Amino acid sequence: MKIYQNLIPTQFTINGKSVEVEVASGETALYTIRERLALKGTKEGCGIGECGACTIVVDGKAVNACLMPAPQLNGRDVLTVEGLEDSGEISPIQEAFLGNHAVQCGFCTPGLMMSTQALLKENTNPNHDEIVEAVSGNLCRCTGYEQIVSAVENAAERVSKRKVK
Amino acid sequence: MKEGLCYARPRKLGEALEFLHGHGDETTVVAGGTDVMIAFRSGKLDSKYILDISRLSELKGIEIHGDELWVGAGVTLSDIYVSETLARFAPALQRAAFTFGSKQIRNTATIGGNVGNASPSADTVPPLIVHEARAVLGSVGGERSVPIEALSSGPYKNTVRSGELITRFVLKPAEGLYSNFQKIARRKALAISRVSLAVIAGKDDTGKISFIRIALGSSTPTPRRIDEVEDFFMGKTPTESLIWEAGRMVATKMIEISGRRASTVYKEKAVQGLFMRILYPMVQ
Repeated sequence: MKIYQNLIPTQFTINGKSVEVEVASGETALYTIRERLALKGTKEGCGIGECGACTIVVDGKAVNACLMPAPQLNGRDVLTVEGLEDSGEISPIQEAFLGNHAVQCGFCTPGLMMSTQALLKENTNPNHDEIVEAVSGNLCRCTGYEQIVSAVENAAERVSKRKVK
Repeated sequence: MKEGLCYARPRKLGEALEFLHGHGDETTVVAGGTDVMIAFRSGKLDSKYILDISRLSELKGIEIHGDELWVGAGVTLSDIYVSETLARFAPALQRAAFTFGSKQIRNTATIGGNVGNASPSADTVPPLIVHEARAVLGSVGGERSVPIEALSSGPYKNTVRSGELITRFVLKPAEGLYSNFQKIARRKALAISRVSLAVIAGKDDTGKISFIRIALGSSTPTPRRIDEVEDFFMGKTPTESLIWEAGRMVATKMIEISGRRASTVYKEKAVQGLFMRILYPMVQ
């Protein structure tokens, strides 16, 4: 077994592109994504897994990038908010968030959309309770959540019409 | 981030145990990272090595082995949430997953990490206690198993020895019995338990309690079984007033162990109320 003294070569797919970066032990996946890959859509809110602003989708599952050790990215398939759009066209989830006024300051939005993405991958027709549960790890201090839940409901409808990525 | 921190990613359990044999004292084991990364961030960890056990297949799996139920230490809370085996043989443990952290946390956090972190509020511990679980600790010298209550010696202190790794939990299955977990926290999601309770209970043909296990979490330095109250229930027909009286005993026991604190004014009543709520279904 190799013991890495300094930087750890880490290869993974992010938003459909294969990347190889060197990460430090103890570094978070959030740092890797924001600072090494310069993808700033994923936000750091609390940094301790309580707010969900850093939510990314790893192998189809929503995780907090701020709690994920960066070397664990190795070999994974990662999706961030930048990967939602398709050839310059915004995704049904993004359309739904816009159309339902589910965005105010916008800081929690990327994380919420990634939780929505993971939910809809798993369950194309979620009910109200399933939606609430899926986004309960994402805090929003502006909207009061009503519009967010409506947006996710609407996203599910839009996705079933247009196949989600 | 600490300078000079080394990282090791074993592919086999044997490699991990060998590494711990040589470097156990200077190593922090990480699986889901949901506790460890927070500790790193706050500068509380001063290890030389990180041992990443997140991909060890030997630590996965929830299965019945003879008359035992085995839950791998690397099983995530999401695995527990959806497990049909647990729904049948250990519903209390599964219910702990329903209210555990958030979806994002459950997707990576493991039961081994929750137990090893030894928080007094660890939600998987009271259910493991009522299932009389033993933790199996692996090392290059072989395995030993300890009762789950003996794995924590105080808040955030575990008794895992240097060179050892929690590999699985061995539970007594409870099929066909009433088995539940409930907690009180500040919010429904992403909240640390203030009081938690796990129970398994069963009645005989005459409606008298013939089997009962009760464990209290978040209220004492380590979650614990309340034997006195189990004894009190045995052979009695559960009524509302009996449960209320037993809840009073649980609260008294909590104060006896933890002392009177600022939070006691609230917790004394909360424990009794939660006890009533969780055991009420035992009343006809």
